[in-house]
Amino acid sequence: MIRKIVTTGLVLGMLFAGAARAEDALVVSTWGGNFRDLIDKYIGQEFTKETGVPVKYITGGTMDRLNKAKLATTPESDITFTTSQVGMLYANSNLFEKLDTSKIPNYAHVVPQARISPYQIGSWAYLYTIAYRPDLVPKSITFDSWSDLWNPALKGKVAVPDWDPSHVIAVSAMLSGGDAGSWQKGEAKLKALKPNLKAFYTNDANSEQLISTGETPVQVMLSMNAYYMIGQGSNIKLVIPKEGAILGVDTMSLMKGSTKADLAYKFMNIALSSAAQAKIVAAEKTSPVVDDASVDPKDAALPGVLTTRDQWNKEAIVIPDKLRAEKMAEWRKWFTENIMN
Amino acid sequence: MNMYSRLRGWLVSPSVIVALCICVALFTVFQFSLRAYIPGSLDVGGFTLANFTGLGKSIYRDALWNTLILSIETMVFSLLLAYPLAYALVRVRNRALKSVILITAITPLFLGEIVRTYSWIIALGSNGFINSMLRKLGLVEFPVDMMFTHFGVLVALVHVTIPVVVLMLAAAIAHIDRDYEKAAQSLGAGPIRIFLTVTLPLSMPGILASSTTAFAWTFSAFATPQMIGGGRVPTISTLIYQLGFSSMNFPLAASLSIVGLALTAVSLWVFGKLTARFKHIGGH
Repeated sequence: MIRKIVTTGLVLGMLFAGAARAEDALVVSTWGGNFRDLIDKYIGQEFTKETGVPVKYITGGTMDRLNKAKLATTPESDITFTTSQVGMLYANSNLFEKLDTSKIPNYAHVVPQARISPYQIGSWAYLYTIAYRPDLVPKSITFDSWSDLWNPALKGKVAVPDWDPSHVIAVSAMLSGGDAGSWQKGEAKLKALKPNLKAFYTNDANSEQLISTGETPVQVMLSMNAYYMIGQGSNIKLVIPKEGAILGVDTMSLMKGSTKADLAYKFMNIALSSAAQAKIVAAEKTSPVVDDASVDPKDAALPGVLTTRDQWNKEAIVIPDKLRAEKMAEWRKWFTENIMN
Repeated sequence: MNMYSRLRGWLVSPSVIVALCICVALFTVFQFSLRAYIPGSLDVGGFTLANFTGLGKSIYRDALWNTLILSIETMVFSLLLAYPLAYALVRVRNRALKSVILITAITPLFLGEIVRTYSWIIALGSNGFINSMLRKLGLVEFPVDMMFTHFGVLVALVHVTIPVVVLMLAAAIAHIDRDYEKAAQSLGAGPIRIFLTVTLPLSMPGILASSTTAFAWTFSAFATPQMIGGGRVPTISTLIYQLGFSSMNFPLAASLSIVGLALTAVSLWVFGKLTARFKHIGGH
């Protein structure tokens, strides 16, 4: 009887000790899979080494986490990683704390394009650009320009994301003498692309599957995903057209009501360190968001890895995040009504 | 008051609570559908009917029509393919064969919709299994387009639905009293006549129940039309996701949901009316 009581007490003690330990952890909200692993490997583990504080991750899709955060009465995480434009929705819903950048010494090295807002700092950057299977595309097409997507030889070969049409909308507008703000100028151009569009992929995995099976040998694709596929041995080529490619920046923010603000700032500072940024670039072929990252010259030479101010200014087409957040619903509605069907 | 009467209240109460919760959720969706969308914000604005007046466009009519047609087609084909499986499952005497049929019919249920849909992406693709076989056999010169088509979505939906229909039909067929069939046989009826005049009518409750389930289940299908359809086969569910949740335009998503719900209710009512005369068949 006494043995049972002691055993039960030990088990309960271990459970509560685990729970107490989880309470002390810094909670980070992020996407799952390789994104979670990337944050843990290059930032979280270093943070725990320096502070002794464990990091706990809660994962989910971009919109799912936003929905949950909106519905929660207290913040479920201390730091949230999300995309720059969705971060605007968080900020507009009063879910983020205004950042005190004086507590993040490495903020001084952050490039202008990654200083998203008073509530968000870029963690890494990537480009949405053209990726293709050179074995399944006419050799004469090398995508020197975005206008090559409209080549009649690519009929039924192209895929674009279904959740974010801002890339092709901005490109069409640009090719029609406008920009994302005057996107209507590109409506006719975008409608002319319809014969070449075969599918609209639903997520990163779907994108990777469609290009690897050759179903859609040309895609407007996230550069990180393309490099992942290349690393897996896929015959995929990534190009940056002469007009540039659409910049995407993932960001980190402090959740309003977090009781671990100082630890969160420490975490962010580690994320922006030259060492962490260099490791993330080496692993994922992203662009560092700081100007002092020691990037391997081989990685720096890769299309879509922006390491110099000149590259950032010339190769990155920036769609203002405020515009993107405000226009996204309108763009999606127009795109669904006029392009997808 | 006896014990059953006293317990009945306790037994019914949870279902009343669940029903109330569902009603509250539906009311919340309805009131969202009458609110204005504020771009760039998760909050909603004041009263408006714009979310409904905008649904007259062809894209929304096409999505409703596609959903209805896919649901009817899936129901019919699932029934036609599942009935022989269910019949064999119940009537086969060999236990090993019975196990094989059960595993073949039911195992897909354990894989989940996403895994099965990804498998169909590989099978239906231009370089997939089906096209490879067709080209090897010399039946086609160029790949047949099956992905991102109505046909591809239908095939995947039928495959996803068959296990459920098999289970429901098997339960109904298993409850048929074999004496009726023996009586028909003793009166000189052949196997086909016995099936058509005795077995099939007596399995009607199962047919109606599984048909209704297959229809309603397919009406709300999302992952399969989304992934196999590739945005080319719009359904109510995929539109709600694309225009509502991914754009955070909850009022539009809510209005599409209300319209979808209304269409489901009308469809099931019409189905009920059409099949009313079959409901009494099979009672014994």
